Amino acid sequence: MSSTNSRTTNLPKLTDPEAASAMFEAVRSVAEQSFFAVAEPSDDRSFGVASTQVRGWLVATVRFEQGPLVGSVSCTLPERLANGLFDAFTGRDPGEPEPVSTMVHDLVGEFSNMVCGAWLTRVESGRTFTLSHPSVEPAGQPGRAGDLRLVAAIDDLPVAVDLHLSTLRRANGAPHA
Amino acid sequence: MRILIVDDSAMMRAMIKRVIKLADVPVDAILEASNGAEGLEILKKHEVNLLLTDINMPVMTGAEMLREISMNERWRGLSRVIISTDGSTVRREEAADLDVRCYLEKPFSPEVLRDVLNELADNELAETD
Repeated sequence: MSSTNSRTTNLPKLTDPEAASAMFEAVRSVAEQSFFAVAEPSDDRSFGVASTQVRGWLVATVRFEQGPLVGSVSCTLPERLANGLFDAFTGRDPGEPEPVSTMVHDLVGEFSNMVCGAWLTRVESGRTFTLSHPSVEPAGQPGRAGDLRLVAAIDDLPVAVDLHLSTLRRANGAPHA
Repeated sequence: MRILIVDDSAMMRAMIKRVIKLADVPVDAILEASNGAEGLEILKKHEVNLLLTDINMPVMTGAEMLREISMNERWRGLSRVIISTDGSTVRREEAADLDVRCYLEKPFSPEVLRDVLNELADNELAETD
């Protein structure tokens, strides 16, 4: 379900399996509650095979800061899935005009925002956090995996969620890499 | 009822508007802002009964806007609802100090928001009777 490297073991009170499990639960709750979509765990092999069928991707990134945890969460999903999520979220009828790309990008940004917030709340519910406005970019293929990568399938289409840690701050607020 | 939605996502504002229209609440106007500063400007110019606001927004956060609102007597009767991804206990306690009537955590289903709106509308009507 997830690929990790040693950096995630630096997460305070958080192990790799806990972080990955919380991330999947965040994705599942966002997909089901706000987009009426079904999210299922996947693995690197299945993700790789399904990815070959995808023509265009969207990558939505949200930077976060939660006490000592500073980094970003990027959701990479097929444009086709983004359009499906848009219809579910807005109630768009298939007979209506296609949404313009800025609207779909805004929606994918909100998806990423909700996943990031739901994940942070799950890993540390006692600490408040700040999130940046999401940035959304088209991509020809999924980017390099983050410090932790979760792969899943939403409505049978491949999705990757990457956690990047930029700094872990000491208790006195001084950042270190 | 006059409602102000403050969220930096246009799609989230559109979704909330859609739920308001589907809910059984009397609506005179729905106003929109994309951050706390814009929200305050609208509140200064328009009479609003219900405020639905996000927390994490550029320019001015929802928490900063709510602090300004709580310090101004003019907005004492304004019903305040937070709709945010931040479900931390700290943020919820902070909201209680800012006279927030309901804290809705994203993600949420449209039915949950509809129920909150109906309950607030019922309370509003009961208070005006």
